[in-house]
Amino acid sequence: MPAFAMIDVVGFWVGIFLTFCILSFLYDDNPFYKLAEHLFIGISIGYLMVQQYTDNLHPKLIVALGEKDGIWLALRLVAIVLVILLFVKALSRRWAWLGRFPLAFVVAFYAGLQINAVANAELGAQIQFASKSLDDPKVDLNTAPAEALTSLPGSSPLVAEKLVAERAQRPFTSLDDATTRPSLTPAERQDLAAARGTLVGLDASASVKPGQQNWFGVLSNVLLLLGLLTSLVYFYFSVAHTGVVGRVSKIGVWVLMIGFGASFGLTVQGRLALAIGRAYDVLGRTFSPSDAAQIKAPYVSLISIVIIILGIAGWELRRRNGRGGPGTAEKT
Amino acid sequence: MKKTLPLVLGMLFGFYAVAEFYIPHHAVGTLTDEFRSWAGILTAAAFVLGGVNILQVTWPKIRRREADWEYKVILLAAAGVMLLVGLPWHRLVGSDAKATVTVAAGASAAGPATVIVEAPADVVVQVGSAVGAGKDAGGKPFTTQVEPGEVSIKLSRRVAGYQPQEVKATLTAGQVATVRGDPPMLWGKEGRVFVWLYDHVFAPCNSTMFALLAFFVASAAFRAFRARNVEAGLLLGAAMIMLLGRIPMGRALWDDLPDIAQWLLDVPNNGGRRAIMMGAAVGAIATGLRVILGLERSHLGSD
Amino acid sequence: MSATEQKPAHWSEKLQTFDRRWIFLAMSLAIVIPLFFPLGLPAKPDPMTKAAYNAVESLPPGSRVFVSLDMDPASTPELEPFFKAVMLHLKRKNVKVVFGTTWYSAPPLVERYMREVVEASIAPAGTAGYSGAPDRPYVKNVDYVNLGFRDGKGAIIQLFGSDLRKAFDGRANDGTALDQIPMMSGIKQLKDFDLIVLLNAGFPGAKEYVQFVGTRYKLKMIAACTAVSTTDLAPYFQTGQLIGLVGGMAAAAGYEDLVGKKGAGTSGADVLNIGSIVVMLAIIFGNVVYFVSPRRRRGGR
Repeated sequence: MPAFAMIDVVGFWVGIFLTFCILSFLYDDNPFYKLAEHLFIGISIGYLMVQQYTDNLHPKLIVALGEKDGIWLALRLVAIVLVILLFVKALSRRWAWLGRFPLAFVVAFYAGLQINAVANAELGAQIQFASKSLDDPKVDLNTAPAEALTSLPGSSPLVAEKLVAERAQRPFTSLDDATTRPSLTPAERQDLAAARGTLVGLDASASVKPGQQNWFGVLSNVLLLLGLLTSLVYFYFSVAHTGVVGRVSKIGVWVLMIGFGASFGLTVQGRLALAIGRAYDVLGRTFSPSDAAQIKAPYVSLISIVIIILGIAGWELRRRNGRGGPGTAEKT
Repeated sequence: MKKTLPLVLGMLFGFYAVAEFYIPHHAVGTLTDEFRSWAGILTAAAFVLGGVNILQVTWPKIRRREADWEYKVILLAAAGVMLLVGLPWHRLVGSDAKATVTVAAGASAAGPATVIVEAPADVVVQVGSAVGAGKDAGGKPFTTQVEPGEVSIKLSRRVAGYQPQEVKATLTAGQVATVRGDPPMLWGKEGRVFVWLYDHVFAPCNSTMFALLAFFVASAAFRAFRARNVEAGLLLGAAMIMLLGRIPMGRALWDDLPDIAQWLLDVPNNGGRRAIMMGAAVGAIATGLRVILGLERSHLGSD
Repeated sequence: MSATEQKPAHWSEKLQTFDRRWIFLAMSLAIVIPLFFPLGLPAKPDPMTKAAYNAVESLPPGSRVFVSLDMDPASTPELEPFFKAVMLHLKRKNVKVVFGTTWYSAPPLVERYMREVVEASIAPAGTAGYSGAPDRPYVKNVDYVNLGFRDGKGAIIQLFGSDLRKAFDGRANDGTALDQIPMMSGIKQLKDFDLIVLLNAGFPGAKEYVQFVGTRYKLKMIAACTAVSTTDLAPYFQTGQLIGLVGGMAAAAGYEDLVGKKGAGTSGADVLNIGSIVVMLAIIFGNVVYFVSPRRRRGGR
């Protein structure tokens, strides 16, 4: 791959410098952060307007006028009128009320689409799932279809196909027998062995005899249903949460808190991942060795940090001496 | 009238949007697609309007020399530059350079044909399956041997913003084809400068703004998250199990920890979330009906 | 209380009010140090990631897949590792891929992915540490199509579901008419694809796909999301509205493990270990400080 042009190398340096400018906010709101923030907002505004015009407005308004005819052209002209009315709202106080037409269309149309969407996906599908049987039968390795075998712990579509072929030659007599058949590769046998477990593993989900129950799965289904019902009771505010209702809703709160805790744990990991991504970039770990040698990201990072530290030190001195200047205005 | 007519319009389109789900007729589907396009158009227009609005709000602050007005100048200048470089200037100026190929007889009339590409050093040359730079470290042009027949030569640059060039040549044994080209720079949303600003200003700033949250989460974890009661204790306990169960170290510490974390996700979390989803769905349906029926008018503003 | 009666502050009260910038510094070290001293712990896939992998693995050769890249540069650390791993997986199976996005900040990112991931070989023959089948560079409008960006949130997603060609005005992002692209033959709606792969960083994203098109057209969809969204999307996986879910960087590392090529997800998940431990310790220590505080014991806040 050819080397980057100098302007692109400078671009990477600019990106690293701006990264540390924004990170300097961790010390305090300062001129470097303000510079990067306003630059970012300005670039974003310009980017957004160009992107939206080029990818949405130009093909659907300008180009479409030349391609459509008849009733479809008339309808597209109505859309143009709505866009004009939207802009009139921003440009004229006297005629701003005309902007209510496009807003009324968008809000009401989206509301209508949303009604069916949530009724279908959030209510219908969820109620259907919640009202299914609490049974959790084990997958019978000797009779279940390949799709069911694929979903077992340690399995895969290829393993499922092999199990189907193996049982046709000789039915499985035990899980040990099924997981050690000769057509399985050592890696596949290792995966199946690692997935063995009586509570949530292969032993809990699969069996070689028909009609076996995964009792932990049944318990989980019961707890899942109870969790749903108690949480729903919590959200039912038409009845006072006292007595039995109060106690049930309390359990619902506990269930919700566990869910929120899980959410919080994952949120922390998500945020950490973002910081890790930036660390990779400023240390040049995302580049190939030849590009990294050209860009010299770690040195640029060090120089950026020194510049920002010296700059903030100077700014702090000026601030404490009360000399003021850009970035020293009192926050309101 | 100024509010009634828009409400009536909203009511018509709102009921239509609800009803179309249940009417399988082809014409209804096509008309609904057109209205969905309108929604997309208005969403895009709203973004453009938002940009115009920010400019309208920022300019008076600069004129009145309010606090941090110098930074607002930078904001407007950056937006202006981005708008300018977002225009497809290459179409206006007419840059349509093409690569050229000249074929000559080689020293020998037998054996493979030769392709020589004369292009700048940062150009990526692809001749058939052979890939290389326009010039090697010594400054010599890219040269490769190919089997006689039709050969495709592609010139591009590794960064975005250049128009790739492609030429084809039919060569016989021993011939030498010399290709000259230089992918021209583009302007507009796929142009060199526009993408440069996106890659080296927008992307790092966008990423770092969110990366700041990692530090604030750690600070909040120490200063604010207290197990003051049973509920808070359950929340923190579940958070700790999830934090540990989803990382490789969790599995290394205890083999069953990831299974416990997954169970937390599958049973208590899904139970509670399902209740929230159902409640939110009922709320969304109720609010949607209020908007369609005109009972909810806040989106239209006041007189 | 007079000056002579003032007690020195308890150590726990001092700790509750110390400068938070020390915590920021601790966090910075927790992120940077593991980059130089990695733990090297293996990342294993969770059941939802496994299900996503199996969904792609079950695709017959020559299938057509729609990939929606609803992301921005900020979400690349969590989503890009999955994207590279799933593209390797799809290219190994010689699957035709159609790309689109509903996020305004995605298009230049998508273009870069087309150049660096789709049109290049991710794991050519002889790649160190990779023993799977090699992939080949894909050719634009032959093996893959980039439809580009359309805005409109739920409405445009619904338009994808009813008429994808109309949503993109009958053209790919480079202006080529979809009618002239052989691999687009017979594709009019999302349900014409064998699988939908959703990379989503927020709104609109997988949730909107499930609400507006997934349940209505009974689409087979897998989703990769940021860790934050995992708990919101997990119920959809349980009901089967999503047939696979890869939540966050750690799960992406699990997908890389299944595909057999370690990447940024695996190395990032390694760094995640220390950062997560630091946050856990911060929570524990903060609570210890709170519970031993004399003010709390006296009944105050």
